[in-house]
Amino acid sequence: MRRLESVGMKYKLMVMAVILGPTVLLTAHAADTVDGAAQTTRPPYTVVDGDKVDQKTLDGWKTWRALACERCHGAEQEGLVGPSLVNSLKTLTKEEFHTTVINGRPDKGMPPWGASAMMQKNWEGLYAYLKGRSDGAIKPGHLHPLDSQ
Amino acid sequence: MKMFYALPMLGAVMISSSLCLSGIAAATDTETAMSDPSNWASQAGDYSNHRHSTLDQINADNVAGLQVAWTMSTGVLRGHEGSPLVIGNTMYIHTPFPNNVYAINLADQTYKWKYEPKQDATVIPVMCCDTVNRGLAFGDGKIFLQQADTTLVALDANTGKVVWTVKNGDPKIGETNTNAPHVFGRVVLTGISGGEFGVHGRMQAYDIATGKLLWKAWSTGPDDQLLVDPKKTMTWTNGKMAPIGKDSSLKTWKGDQWKIGGGTTWGWYAYDPKLNLVYYGSGNPSTWNPNQRPGDNKWSMTIFARDLNTGMAKWVYQMTPHDEWDYDGVNEMVLADVPMNGKTIPALVHFDRNGFGYTMNRVTGELLVAQKFDPNVNWATNVDMKTGRPQVNPKFSPGTTGPDVDVKDICPAALGSKDEQPSSYDPKSGLMFVPTNHVCMTYEPFQIEYTAGQPYVGATLTMYPTPNSHGGMGNFIAWDPAAGKIVWSKAERFSVWSGALTTDGGIAFYGTLEGYLKAVSLKDGKELWKFKTPSGIIGNVFTYVYNGKQYVGVYSGIGGWAGIGMAAGLSEGHEGLGAVGGYKDLAKYTTLGGSLFVFGLPDAAASRTASTGVTPTANPIQ
Repeated sequence: MRRLESVGMKYKLMVMAVILGPTVLLTAHAADTVDGAAQTTRPPYTVVDGDKVDQKTLDGWKTWRALACERCHGAEQEGLVGPSLVNSLKTLTKEEFHTTVINGRPDKGMPPWGASAMMQKNWEGLYAYLKGRSDGAIKPGHLHPLDSQ
Repeated sequence: MKMFYALPMLGAVMISSSLCLSGIAAATDTETAMSDPSNWASQAGDYSNHRHSTLDQINADNVAGLQVAWTMSTGVLRGHEGSPLVIGNTMYIHTPFPNNVYAINLADQTYKWKYEPKQDATVIPVMCCDTVNRGLAFGDGKIFLQQADTTLVALDANTGKVVWTVKNGDPKIGETNTNAPHVFGRVVLTGISGGEFGVHGRMQAYDIATGKLLWKAWSTGPDDQLLVDPKKTMTWTNGKMAPIGKDSSLKTWKGDQWKIGGGTTWGWYAYDPKLNLVYYGSGNPSTWNPNQRPGDNKWSMTIFARDLNTGMAKWVYQMTPHDEWDYDGVNEMVLADVPMNGKTIPALVHFDRNGFGYTMNRVTGELLVAQKFDPNVNWATNVDMKTGRPQVNPKFSPGTTGPDVDVKDICPAALGSKDEQPSSYDPKSGLMFVPTNHVCMTYEPFQIEYTAGQPYVGATLTMYPTPNSHGGMGNFIAWDPAAGKIVWSKAERFSVWSGALTTDGGIAFYGTLEGYLKAVSLKDGKELWKFKTPSGIIGNVFTYVYNGKQYVGVYSGIGGWAGIGMAAGLSEGHEGLGAVGGYKDLAKYTTLGGSLFVFGLPDAAASRTASTGVTPTANPIQ
């Protein structure tokens, strides 16, 4: 069933992308509360045009591709043998995420990445990247630095 | 690059073998069992990878009446590749990880014995992305299981008790196994997986009685480790066979990259007892970023012909020098006698991931035919028949465009115009029947560092149906290996990831990712029968006789690389192409499963054929 949901989710994301359009600026400031009402959590990433991100998020994406996470979780995080991270990051806390990437879930096929220097250094950036993908704010595919053309 | 792991760099192990040449030796129990078409005693049914049965009780005229005879759960919900074995009144079935083995009494479908290995679960992550196993082998009164954790196990075929075990790799550095062990004569051959973890590929040969290592032949490295003779091992050079020369592999790698150079050996091997030669292919060079490993990267992507007793290579042929696409060369080697120019050629036929169907002289290694078996293949325009090299189109060459550039619309995708799903050879028509993929990709290589036991891929890919074609992601084709031409082609919605079976009943069977088992006419591909199993089929179809009745069976259980389609949608850039058969649709049809399906004709129809030998008219049961 997870697979069915992830396909549905993709459609929702596409719809969302259309609504938001390509030039939405979603930064920590942009996500601040309106009129000081509900205290919304700031997103852990900064993104412009869907594919230009802050350095930490960029390093997170580079970690994602260097460790070949897409082989299990899909090129667009939609899930393959591993679960859809577009879905998982909606419920997984940052602490749970950290535990999972460092210790893995070996019985389910998720490797422990604790020994990876790249993961140790960039796990927060990876969390930010995946959160951005889950929120629909970051597009699938290649990312660039904020100051790039 | 610094080496992190301590493989025994002792050179190739060559232990003098006391084996007789097979031509002289009496038939082994494997050979005796394979000679009776009632059995399915090896994964391909024979040494030659024909996957053909002379049985004809089920045939083109009555297959429409085929019914389920019995089913069995395997208890595992992962990709089910390979097929069971049948020897006498016993069927031996296997499962994906944890690689359970069950011996089933065909009289009442009860378990005779079970073998349930305890394997460290940490092997699963380094098998990413699925924990498939391509099946068992039989010989010397034993059943051979090649576990995921690289342990090769010999079980007593009658009791399931362990006779011997050997370890042929280390999962901590990414070495695992998915291949079936192959019994040829008195030798058990097994390979290694892990081309995405920078393992050092090789083939291992063990004595069938004791498990003693007979030889180990590496795919890359110094001549003594390759088990080649620089003066006598031949390869296709300028239109003729010539010696490969000294350091043929070392010269084609930068520094010591060959030590983490891949060239794994997880496919389907073949054996010619008259020549005493074993044939197999090696996989992709590691990493997938071609910019990091200049050179031809020999002998990755290579067909090897080796002496069974010594491992010494008689000839080699590299299909995809300096791979830029992950076109592993491991697919089945089919040994067939092919009529060409008025002569019968002892040929080797091979459908490579790279989209070319090769016909070679298996005695000499001469290249005879190399033609596209999917007309949409575009990474190379053709194979130069003089040099044997593919003529790469720079537009579809990630090595030319460089790192961090997205190369679009390369056909085929990394999973190839065909992957491990084996073809079948019908000796009567002389044609090959081939399950294929019809998938293209974008490919973006990037710089990657090697760390032992961690992925060493270095490329991001997206895959989608071949643009401007029928919209589906697969074809089932009939192929003429002498002419190098498609005879007929039947479009399929998804990749055909199931091994084909042909029979003297004039039919070919194959499974689909939606879960259908199909029977088609060998003449024109016309669909004669289909049945929907609970899950997608990536297993290989097999047949046998019990109590005078012919049965056809297959595993149902989607997964493997084919299962990539379960959730993978089309990439944004291709949404507009109107592809109706995208992988994203697969979730509408099926989900994970794990069962064995066995089919037979209704008893009346079966006995009518058996007793009279006359083919009855179609029995419209369904």
